[in-house]
Amino acid sequence: MFNKAIRGKSPRSLLFIFEVLSLFLLFVYQNTRVDRFTIMTGIGLILIISLSNYLLIKISSGDNYIFLIVTMLISIGTIMIYRIDEGLGIKQLIWLSMGILLFFMTYFFVKYIKGWQNWIYLYVGASYILFFMTFILGSRKKGAINWINLGNFSFQPAEITKLLIVFILSSYYANISKWKEIKNASYYLMGVIYSFILLLFLQRDLGMAMIFYLIFISIQFIYEEDRKLIIYNIGLLIIGGIIGYTMFDHVKIRFQAWINPWKYIDRQGYQITQSLFAIAEGGFFGKGLGLGHPYFIPEVYTDFIFSAICEEMGIFTGIGIIMLYMILVYRGFKIAISQEETFFRILALGISILFGVQSLIILGGVLKMIPLTGITLPFISYGGSSILSSFIALGILQVSSEEISLRRVQDEQRD
Amino acid sequence: MYNILAILFKYIFIIIIYLFIFSIIRLIYLDIKGMEAISSDNRTYLKLINRTDSLPFKIKEHYSIDDSLTLGRRGDNHIVVKDPYVSKEHFQIIEDEEEYYLEDLNSANGTYLNGERIFDVMKLKDGDIIRVGKIEFLFVSRE
Repeated sequence: MFNKAIRGKSPRSLLFIFEVLSLFLLFVYQNTRVDRFTIMTGIGLILIISLSNYLLIKISSGDNYIFLIVTMLISIGTIMIYRIDEGLGIKQLIWLSMGILLFFMTYFFVKYIKGWQNWIYLYVGASYILFFMTFILGSRKKGAINWINLGNFSFQPAEITKLLIVFILSSYYANISKWKEIKNASYYLMGVIYSFILLLFLQRDLGMAMIFYLIFISIQFIYEEDRKLIIYNIGLLIIGGIIGYTMFDHVKIRFQAWINPWKYIDRQGYQITQSLFAIAEGGFFGKGLGLGHPYFIPEVYTDFIFSAICEEMGIFTGIGIIMLYMILVYRGFKIAISQEETFFRILALGISILFGVQSLIILGGVLKMIPLTGITLPFISYGGSSILSSFIALGILQVSSEEISLRRVQDEQRD
Repeated sequence: MYNILAILFKYIFIIIIYLFIFSIIRLIYLDIKGMEAISSDNRTYLKLINRTDSLPFKIKEHYSIDDSLTLGRRGDNHIVVKDPYVSKEHFQIIEDEEEYYLEDLNSANGTYLNGERIFDVMKLKDGDIIRVGKIEFLFVSRE
């Protein structure tokens, strides 16, 4: 009986309790000036999350844990952002609602449109168009040209390209028998991907270049029959790294700031040392929400949100977040293993690798484990395009978790 | 006042987050336990279409078929389903010369093959859907 009570319902109710408690705390925090906005934001957050969790179970026959894990991550993120800056918190909530809407839209699009594996040229073309748009219309922000401004709205095209790259790789390896007829097709693929990485490098978006490279090499490692290519890839990475270090200043600066940030504490090492101070200040259980000093950390809403969470909610929450990402990636791999359609299998794999790699790069960066490159923490950081693209990716993962070959059998019987 | 509350709440938050992680891991554990590895030499099996956590009784995701397989509420069947809708002996699948046949064992509520109730012994082919009450199985047979 106890088992039945815990099954299925328990994580959802825990999530609900977490949100209610944290919102209550936020009300007390601003007790002198509780306004309508705070209440609306709070109720909005709870409503959106509970409703979408409920809807998903009704709609999808696939995995229902991934969305649950993600809603926990977005709850922690939104509460932290709201605590730092109320205006941004409300904006984040709007982004989240759009993201969840997009999640459901992606789910239906990917599910009911057939033939995703045949449009490889479209994906490659779209990626190049996005890159050139960035070069022509892009504006320089924090040393990297990766933003396009359209009126009040600005977005990062690379966030879409990183999904397109997963599609390119999936449609290539799903139709590998067709591509094998062309001589050296895998080299052409490699050329295309490296041209993307080079373009990102020219835009100085090093974090994104790293994500692209790691997705590419992971999928190639799993599916490429010509094992020489993997060695070439690793060789090229080493050569590229050495060239980048010696020729480009911004690579060198990041590397030096990683090796010894204390030496450059007033300049390049400032971000990372502030992040380390914040994490150390928090200790095991944190300072308590609203009692820390997250304003000292630069970029605290986006890249360094993890440090702020660690400061106010403790390293235990930090470890919890890392565990949540681990479960998410594990679920993604399990979805990939049980999926029988090759295209969706590689797609699920690519997206799980994307989530894993993206969180690894930024968490490693803020903890000074690897050189810091500015990318967002998926689902937690503030940021429109990052939230939207993460939710699109999640929608694709949700479709992949269903039995696509089974659905085809049923369709045939209906015809 | 606020400080005391914030300090109290930070412990509660950590406990809730870990309980959440624990309950998800528990669900995943149950999920994995429900899967039975299909050995590569046996490619004929029944696959449950429903999600295991949507059914209020114990059931596995895969059942491999050797020479025969029976489903019913009584304990000596291959698939035991503790659902009042299911008869004590509900249906059986028999193998004969590499072909598989489905037979209803005079169950009260009937067995449905691809949406139609069966009365005779029916030959099964790959992709057939067998339904008993709410439970749906996919018949998979690969050469």
